[in-house]
Amino acid sequence: MITNFDKLCTDLEKQELEAPNGVASPSTYAQLLAIYLYQNDLCNAKFLWKRIPQTITSSNPELTAIWAVGQKLWKKNLSATYHALAAYTWTEPVANIIRALEEKVRERAFNLIGRSYSTISLDTVVSMTGLSCEAVQQICRERKWEVQDDGVTINPTPPTQPAPLHTSSEDQLFKLTEFVSFLEN
Amino acid sequence: MASSLEQFVNNVRTSSASGNFRELCDTIGKSEEVLQRNSAHLTTVLETLDIQQHSLGVLAVLVAKFSLPQGNNDVDKSTMFQQVHDFINNCNGEQVRFCPELYADLCHLLTDHLVELKQPIRGIEILKKAIRKIQLFDSQLTSIHADLCQLCLLSKCMKPALEFLDTDVTGISFELGGSNDSKHFLLYYYYGGMIYTAMKNYDRALYFFEVVVTVPAMVVSHIMLEAYKKYILVSLILHGKIQPMPKYTSQVVCRFLKPLSVAYHELGTSQHAAIKHRETFVRDKNMGLVSQVLSSMYKKNIQRLTKTFLTLSLSDVASRVQLSGPSQAETYVLNMIEEGEIYAMINQKDGMVVFLDSPEKYASPETLCILEQQMAGCTKLHQYIQEMDEQIQVNPQYVKKSAGSHDEDMPATSQNSKSTYTM
Repeated sequence: MITNFDKLCTDLEKQELEAPNGVASPSTYAQLLAIYLYQNDLCNAKFLWKRIPQTITSSNPELTAIWAVGQKLWKKNLSATYHALAAYTWTEPVANIIRALEEKVRERAFNLIGRSYSTISLDTVVSMTGLSCEAVQQICRERKWEVQDDGVTINPTPPTQPAPLHTSSEDQLFKLTEFVSFLEN
Repeated sequence: MASSLEQFVNNVRTSSASGNFRELCDTIGKSEEVLQRNSAHLTTVLETLDIQQHSLGVLAVLVAKFSLPQGNNDVDKSTMFQQVHDFINNCNGEQVRFCPELYADLCHLLTDHLVELKQPIRGIEILKKAIRKIQLFDSQLTSIHADLCQLCLLSKCMKPALEFLDTDVTGISFELGGSNDSKHFLLYYYYGGMIYTAMKNYDRALYFFEVVVTVPAMVVSHIMLEAYKKYILVSLILHGKIQPMPKYTSQVVCRFLKPLSVAYHELGTSQHAAIKHRETFVRDKNMGLVSQVLSSMYKKNIQRLTKTFLTLSLSDVASRVQLSGPSQAETYVLNMIEEGEIYAMINQKDGMVVFLDSPEKYASPETLCILEQQMAGCTKLHQYIQEMDEQIQVNPQYVKKSAGSHDEDMPATSQNSKSTYTM
């Protein structure tokens, strides 16, 4: 499975710009569109969709299906996003990107819930993550989110920040020296 | 074949061989008319010249060939893209730098041609290469920058332009500055502002529009007017109010632009202006931005609530910012938390929102990193200013003026070590 989408993205962008007559292959467009969505780069996704010639969009249902997902993401309608993701049987190589996209959207949803809710109903979590009740309860246990006694209200906790990058003190000393020497001169 | 044309070819060959490029530039400047008149033979001339060895000559012929008026049967434009493509890839950069105006003209011609063909996306890659070839350093602005931005906008493919737009300009190419008109300079910042607006990088967009409007001017350009309108809209989206123009804005701007953009000023004071002046906005093709201004008003109002309240019920939020109900309020608050525009916690069980202070303690390594970057930026800026200052100090014109007028009352200037008179 390809995981380095950034590299692929650069390649695809290049392919599009160098395409004769300015029109690339449907497969290039489809992958690039999906990758933009994966990167949550909705502006570029929107403009890509707008610039694909109509003859290509109308004859490639997969492209239309990808953009249907993009539209839902643009409107920040999470539950509809999962529906749109499930509504089409994706083919390779797009399927690969779509799988990663779905995971990423769900991960973002969980982080958002953790950051913005002190209490939330199970139903809302289910619709925001597009999972089944059981799966949500399982993840809540993994994330140590408490379920209240009534069984439908969850108390999420904010996600822990990733450990900050540690810079060497030598490096910092160097920067400090540079700064002081600037001020002195 | 006409003898004057033969003479041109011979000139190009001998000058190129002996390396007299400065002279060759003069010759080319004078032979424009000759080339235009002999349009039928230009293809033959091209065959006798070598792109690498006689770059300047080929450049002159190409420009003459493609700038012929429409309807001239001697020139077949279908090969234009390929020819310009080959030229930019293979020409000798040092040679063409002797005549950057002509080089830029060729790029302008290609741009116009692709716009006409409605295939703007094909030109992006080649213009990127063209800019890199003629630039003396990365942050130098050329008039080709504006062409690239135009093609990016037209093809709706903005990403390639960003690497140029993100580099702050520290120098202006000779062909763009000086006595030439400011059209390409204004267009670059105007198009750049539009690209940033499309990418929702409003901060940078506002800066670009500001540059357009604050260009020193004796008369107002139409580009400035359109940029001023967009400046107002972006300012409303970003800050919720119209940012005042900097003090160094030319007087004509205030005098002429404001009366011409009344509708936009009204939008800043009342939301009804959007409906009242709808026609104006649609005609200016700014309706999309106007809608964004309206929806950003809700966000600004919610942000204002965080300054007054610690906790508020969702239905109160809805009624205070005129949303339809608690669930819509919840969506707005949730989206704003995601974007980092407010800090809040929603308690869904009780339907309450708790507004929090920013969790940033300004004590993390990230903050230090940002601080270091900003300090490095300031140091760099200081360095640029010092360099520019030194350049001005030794500019003959400046020295003459400042020495002439202050001879008697300011003898101290001559002691200043920086203002050397030994030119």
